[in-house]
Amino acid sequence: MAKDYDHLFKLLIIGDSGVGKSSLLLRFSDNTFTGSYITTIGVDFKIKTVNIDGQRVKLQIWDTAGQERFRTITSTYYRGTHGVIVVYDVTNGETFANVKRWLHEIEQNCDVVNRVLVGNKNDCPDRKVVLTEDAKRFADTMGIQLFETSAKDNINVEEMFLSVTRLVLRSKQEMKERQNVTSNDTVNLRKSNKQGKKKCC
Amino acid sequence: MLGDQNELNVVQSKFSSNELVVAVHTNALLLEQEGWVDNRRILALVKHEFSFALFVILSVNIPPVSFSDLTIERIIPLDECFLCDTEPIPQDYQNIIFNIYYKTLILPFKVEISTESSNFASEVITAKEVKPVEYKDCIFAWLDKYKDLDKIVMDLNEKLGDFPLTRQKNGQGQGISGNRESFLKYQLTLKEPEFTHQQEFTIFIGTWNVNGQPPTALRKWLSCDEEPPDIYAVGFQELDLRKEAFLWNETTREEEWQKAVMEAVHPNAKYRCVALVRLVGIQLVVLINSKHYQHVKNVAIDTVGTGILGKMGNKGGVSVRFELHNTSLCFVNSHLAAHVEEYERRNQDYHDINLRTNFRRHPLAIRDHDQVYWLGDLNYRITDLTTDQVKYYLSKSNLEPVLLADQLNQQRILCRVLQDYQEGDITFIPTYKYDLNSDIFDTSEKARAPAWTDRILWRGKGIYQSAYRSHMEMRISDHKPVSALFKSQISVIDQAKYRKVHEEVLKRMDKLENEFLPQVTIDSTEVTFELVKFREAQYKDIIIANTGQVLAEFEFIRKPNDTSYCKEWLRITPYIGCIKPGEKCDIRFEVNLEQPLEELYDILVLHLSGGKDMFITVSGKCQRSCFTTSISTLCRAPIPLLNLNPDQLQHAETQQSPVLYSVPRELWLLVDHLYRYGLKTKELFELNALNEDIVRIRDWLDWGSLDPISVPIHAVAEALLLFLSYTKDPIIPYHLHDACIAASSNYQSCKQIIVQKLPDLERNVFLYLCMFLQELLKHSNENGSDVKTLATLFGDILLRDPVRNSRPQANRGKASFLYHFLVNDQSCLLIVPNNK
Repeated sequence: MAKDYDHLFKLLIIGDSGVGKSSLLLRFSDNTFTGSYITTIGVDFKIKTVNIDGQRVKLQIWDTAGQERFRTITSTYYRGTHGVIVVYDVTNGETFANVKRWLHEIEQNCDVVNRVLVGNKNDCPDRKVVLTEDAKRFADTMGIQLFETSAKDNINVEEMFLSVTRLVLRSKQEMKERQNVTSNDTVNLRKSNKQGKKKCC
Repeated sequence: MLGDQNELNVVQSKFSSNELVVAVHTNALLLEQEGWVDNRRILALVKHEFSFALFVILSVNIPPVSFSDLTIERIIPLDECFLCDTEPIPQDYQNIIFNIYYKTLILPFKVEISTESSNFASEVITAKEVKPVEYKDCIFAWLDKYKDLDKIVMDLNEKLGDFPLTRQKNGQGQGISGNRESFLKYQLTLKEPEFTHQQEFTIFIGTWNVNGQPPTALRKWLSCDEEPPDIYAVGFQELDLRKEAFLWNETTREEEWQKAVMEAVHPNAKYRCVALVRLVGIQLVVLINSKHYQHVKNVAIDTVGTGILGKMGNKGGVSVRFELHNTSLCFVNSHLAAHVEEYERRNQDYHDINLRTNFRRHPLAIRDHDQVYWLGDLNYRITDLTTDQVKYYLSKSNLEPVLLADQLNQQRILCRVLQDYQEGDITFIPTYKYDLNSDIFDTSEKARAPAWTDRILWRGKGIYQSAYRSHMEMRISDHKPVSALFKSQISVIDQAKYRKVHEEVLKRMDKLENEFLPQVTIDSTEVTFELVKFREAQYKDIIIANTGQVLAEFEFIRKPNDTSYCKEWLRITPYIGCIKPGEKCDIRFEVNLEQPLEELYDILVLHLSGGKDMFITVSGKCQRSCFTTSISTLCRAPIPLLNLNPDQLQHAETQQSPVLYSVPRELWLLVDHLYRYGLKTKELFELNALNEDIVRIRDWLDWGSLDPISVPIHAVAEALLLFLSYTKDPIIPYHLHDACIAASSNYQSCKQIIVQKLPDLERNVFLYLCMFLQELLKHSNENGSDVKTLATLFGDILLRDPVRNSRPQANRGKASFLYHFLVNDQSCLLIVPNNK
């Protein structure tokens, strides 16, 4: 009855420096926001258990330094990650332009991984420079889901984290089913082999 | 402070000052395993730094007067093996039982319900909750000193020995504590009232010793009540008395009786079988109204034989356990040892059944269930009364004196058997022993005294017995069946509320887990050195402060593709360590430059065990020095190194500018100085110089001061050795080393290498040095030098290995190679640049 969790997933948040990666994590894990900017120098993680369709999923969410100079080191933390959240700042076009590079990082360092694209700081229409349509078009061509969030105003943050968790959960279940199918095949093959032998004798 | 201040002070005086007594409970009664002999204890919760332990203390006086009254009896560390809970005492509204669990140890304390006890309990629970996520054996090391006191029963030795060490070196995704599940379970149990409500279930319990007879119709027994019960638990004994049943546990009777039961259950409800269990003739079947079946979980059975040899199944007990909604139920049907005088044997059988019943997948003992129903032919007889007396009282319907003579009642009062069970009032005449097919007590020769051998008892909360009776009309056996009807409160989970509570608890655990991750702050993640110079060490300190709630184990870790956690020019002390919460640690970064680098740059990874990683960037500009510059560059530099403009330097480095000197100016300066002032100095190359003198020589050479240097001659000698040791490449290139060593026995071959293979500038430096050393040797009378020593010293430097002293076995070859050039004249080999 009292089981701690059914699944344990590791999520990773990446993106340029200052796009709000740590703020997203803090909003999701502690439901808090601090206006003061402290750049992350290193990698940190937090624990959060969520309920997806009756299943307890324990998330270990890693927040990484976005600064260019740390990129080689941070890429070593991609290993074993189930889901990656690529964040840009909707008020900063350059951070959106760099998304491609971040996606490339993922390809270089992860095997199979679920990704989502997140445009953060979507709380001030006047300052928004990355248009939703452009971001959506880009996300569609890359085959990933787009979320526009605001860690400050708590918009879409929970939805985004739950969606990526759902993606990871689904791919885990699909993989399991595929394994079941193949193992069934082997059983069948063996059976038919045996029968074949009998006939030969 | 909790507890009476005086008492607390007395208890505190038993401990040292760094062991803080947080709370005491002065009047806890330890309920011993053997009966209910009360023993007064003092419980003390003691804190040492970040760990807590519960001390069980004996006291001569209660409350204690002085610390000499106190004797420590047990010590229980509040680690992840520690659990505690409270349980109410039936019919006792003044007291409550406070249970302490530690692995297999259970200590029940009876305490008065009061602010003292509730404060104490909550203090213990809090202490247990704020425990660090990771246990280290060291945090309980303070308990070690109590091991020596021989009165301590607590098995500190074994228990401290196997604290699970959940150290996680690897922060790449594993840093999660393993203790969450039991914590969650515990929290949910505490909050159970919030998400459950009680629902009344009627339970019919029947027991009958059938004396090996074939089945008969059972409806009069099992369906004697108007309303259908929700649950049936029907037990038989002596189902089959034949040898086969006893020896091989085989019988057709099981099926026959089961059929008889199914046919006889109440017609107004449909029943499904929860479990059927049989050991030889002892059979128990549990049925439940079909509508409740989906709420039955974790069904398990077990059988325990206590018969012949203490093992065989002619006597013993069979059990069925399961959970109905959120309440765990256990039914035990036992047939205990026979014969009037064997009541102690019966007690023993009871204890054996308790001890040996094991539901495997559900590691609960019988007594751990919320509700236990114990039924069967317990076989306790009537003593102290003759058969005639018994029959006389019974004929007068006066049961009381007979019940007083009932062994089970007597043994229960003495706490020898079924001590914590309850039994309803017996209002029916004894159920044993009857002539078959009659209601007449035994008329055989033995004329056994009548007895209430067949009984039903229970233990647990919320059980109300509404009927307890025998069924005289069932006549096939020498026993009459007995039945009891219970109205039992079953705890039913409200799924919506449960989800909400579960969610809240998980949220709280997430919060706790996040809070108990190691946390540190660093005062600076950028370590920038001032201009770093050759052989002039610099250091910078940073401060790591543990701002979290648990011990922070830090370590600088290696990045993938690196061979060490930092570059060779850097030293970190300490590079690994442990910081207690609220404390700080200074980390020193020391740089010592021996390479020709223009700038220093590295990103270090500071890893917290089980937590985050931080990046520390180390940087600094370097000052060029002749000591680490190539011979070729030096020979092309028109002016001292640090006076060169960037273009001049670049041209010299890329060999675009012409060679201006046959040997580097700096080398000439050093050798010339030694030639002038050092030829008569003893142990010229054997004394260590002060680093500050080396630094002065370095600046003298790099800045090209015109003034003669005034330093001890030994410093200049050492500077020469350093110069030759740190030139960007060794004077004799690496690729020639093996050839030189191979040729070392033959002067001509050695000479050939120098003449034909060595680049011009290196050859000049080599020969120039040899000539100087020859000069030195000419004065060996005064300076005490000898050729072998010099050959060994300079051979090792001129043919230095890529990694220092990586091939000590080659040193002899190097020395013999150089030896030839110290004992033969080679001045003819010198080449003078054309443009000079």
